[in-house]
Amino acid sequence: MPDINALKAEAKRILSEGMVDIVIGFKAGDTPLHPQPAFFKTPDEVDQLVYNALCQNNLATYLTRFPKTQKIGMVVRGCESRSVNALVFEGQHPREGLYLIGVPCDGIIDWRKIVEQTGEEVFSVIEQSDNTVLVEAKSGFFTLEKETLLHESCARCIHPNPISADVVIGELLPEGDPALACEKVAAFAGLSMEERHAWFRQEAERCIRCYACREACPMCYCEECFVDHISPRWTESGTTPAGMQGWHIVRAFHQTGRCTSCGACERACPMDIKMTYLTEKLNEDMRRKYNFEVGLDATTAPPFSTVTLDDKSRFVI
Amino acid sequence: MNLILKKDHLNHLLNAWRQEYEVYAPQSLQNFTHFLPLQDGFELAFDKAHNTRIPPKALFLPTSEALLKFTRFGGYEEVPSETAPRLIFGIRPCDAHAMTMLDTVFEQERYTDPLWKARREATVVVGLGCHEPCQTGFCTTVGSGPFNHAGLDAILTDLGEIFLVETLTEKGEHLFTQLETASEDQSMHASEVQQAAAASMPIAFETEGLKQKLDQNFASPYWEEVSRSCLGCGVCTFLCPTCFCFDIVDEAQRGERVRNWDTCMFRTYSLEASGHNPRPSRVERTRQRLSHKYSYWLDQINQIGCTGCGRCVRYCPVGLDIRAMLRKAHQLPSEVLHA
Ligand code: SF4
Ligand code: SF4
Ligand code: SF4
Ligand code: SF4
Ligand code: SF4
Repeated sequence: MPDINALKAEAKRILSEGMVDIVIGFKAGDTPLHPQPAFFKTPDEVDQLVYNALCQNNLATYLTRFPKTQKIGMVVRGCESRSVNALVFEGQHPREGLYLIGVPCDGIIDWRKIVEQTGEEVFSVIEQSDNTVLVEAKSGFFTLEKETLLHESCARCIHPNPISADVVIGELLPEGDPALACEKVAAFAGLSMEERHAWFRQEAERCIRCYACREACPMCYCEECFVDHISPRWTESGTTPAGMQGWHIVRAFHQTGRCTSCGACERACPMDIKMTYLTEKLNEDMRRKYNFEVGLDATTAPPFSTVTLDDKSRFVI
Repeated sequence: MNLILKKDHLNHLLNAWRQEYEVYAPQSLQNFTHFLPLQDGFELAFDKAHNTRIPPKALFLPTSEALLKFTRFGGYEEVPSETAPRLIFGIRPCDAHAMTMLDTVFEQERYTDPLWKARREATVVVGLGCHEPCQTGFCTTVGSGPFNHAGLDAILTDLGEIFLVETLTEKGEHLFTQLETASEDQSMHASEVQQAAAASMPIAFETEGLKQKLDQNFASPYWEEVSRSCLGCGVCTFLCPTCFCFDIVDEAQRGERVRNWDTCMFRTYSLEASGHNPRPSRVERTRQRLSHKYSYWLDQINQIGCTGCGRCVRYCPVGLDIRAMLRKAHQLPSEVLHA
């Protein structure tokens, strides 16, 4: 956990020195489980800045809302810094217009895992120095191991440290184990076709097509998403099996070589749907087949964003 | 009429009802609860959450449904609207109240939705009052309450070993003919529990004059402030028991005209064929959501269009809390409207 005062001091400095017009971070929420993304325009406003393991959103999702001329400061963890790099590569904001305050991240807590143990009425959550979390709930006090509360994407995170940040606040953490990242994919890949379909169906059939996963994802910034196209119509509109396949599978494919495994999509889902196994599978393919991980810099093109004249598949050109 | 239902008799009663109705009650689905039809060996999940994640409106207005089937050559047939008898057990008063508000949308004098109407008529609704009100809910603030009767055929009050059953309609009476009548003491006890529950809920925001504030501040920078972190997703409206917006789409390959849930928080909701969008950003969309609930519903039926269930508060992925937004709205200046 980075020193919050050091974080605030840096955010204030870049605002008061005019290096940025706005700093994107988090502030305390109105409910105990949900700190809110916040946009600080003056050093005084930065007093509200908070940073803790319940900050569940990927702040890079807001980047594309700002004009490219705006100078933006952002508090970024490992995955967020990679999303920013990916967006810079895709021309969504010039790197010179950004100041990234990096924080090494020891994982985001999935609030659902708290509620599962404490019941839905939670009054406060305090992270303690011994990696435990003290929760006050209607049903009593609970001391929970932080590790058991981590969102799955964070438990298998490979790059917890911010990449290409302008400043890093807090001690760097050891890199994650790529083998761990592959476990869920391996569990899925080991199944028969019917079993894999059943896995998909079990998740997809709860979907209500609220698109919180899309809106939470920094890489889903299309002005018009394929599901919203009227003509041509790419997929069925409803929550039918065909509509679900169209939506979830194509969305995952659109993330190939772009997804940073942040898990923000899953954490946003009101129906607790777990679909990151699809993007994880594609990420693993990218690592294995192309030796590529997105966002490690802002200049390397993702494999599917490049075209060469000797490409075996000529359909693009 | 007040009756007594022993808790250990509940499952027996539910099973008896299953002979006559398809019985829906909150059961576990993943980490949340959902109104699912009871199967043999069912387990109720009232302890897990006050409210189901998806409101019971989905039993009357499914996320997607076919309205009619058509062929390429101009023929079509409507989807039949009859529904087998259903019983929803354990609906919370905020959700039941919401159903009565949706009736004013789907069963108007001139336009009645046959699917909605058939489902409503075929359904008996038994409520479970909230003797321990929920934290994010604010039913008492918006003119409902943890033992509100609106939309219910009967309501249960948890008195420990027993439920006190109040039957509110003929349909409700028909369900509980086998039960003993409650004593005066038991009825008294129940009404104390009911009053204490309502009294324990803080007033979340001031509703007096709120509509005027929202109307008068239509162009206020307030809307930009409160919508800044909004993702523009469907969570707060899809999970809302009073939101009813839908979109009608012709799925040409299937030969079906379908109705899907839609929401004013989506970009495409107000997008016109010309490409113009009168609500071009999340600012205007947030204004629509809040104003619909706290102003336009009042114009239409003189009731706030929110029953305070608190789902939007709990499940907004960026933690936007409508209670806090409305507290802030109430602080806005009252301005004279410009012509
Ligand atoms: S698809 Fe999900 S995990 Fe991947 S970048 Fe987007 S939000 Fe993050
Ligand atoms: S957030 Fe969840 S319910 Fe909503 S569209 Fe995505 S997967 Fe479906
Ligand atoms: S809002 Fe009121 S009626 Fe609804 S669950 Fe909470 S206490 Fe019960
Ligand atoms: S749930 Fe939250 S983020 Fe989504 S549209 Fe509603 S207010 Fe915005
Ligand atoms: S708030 Fe929006 S989605 Fe809900 S009923 Fe009103 S217009 Fe429709």
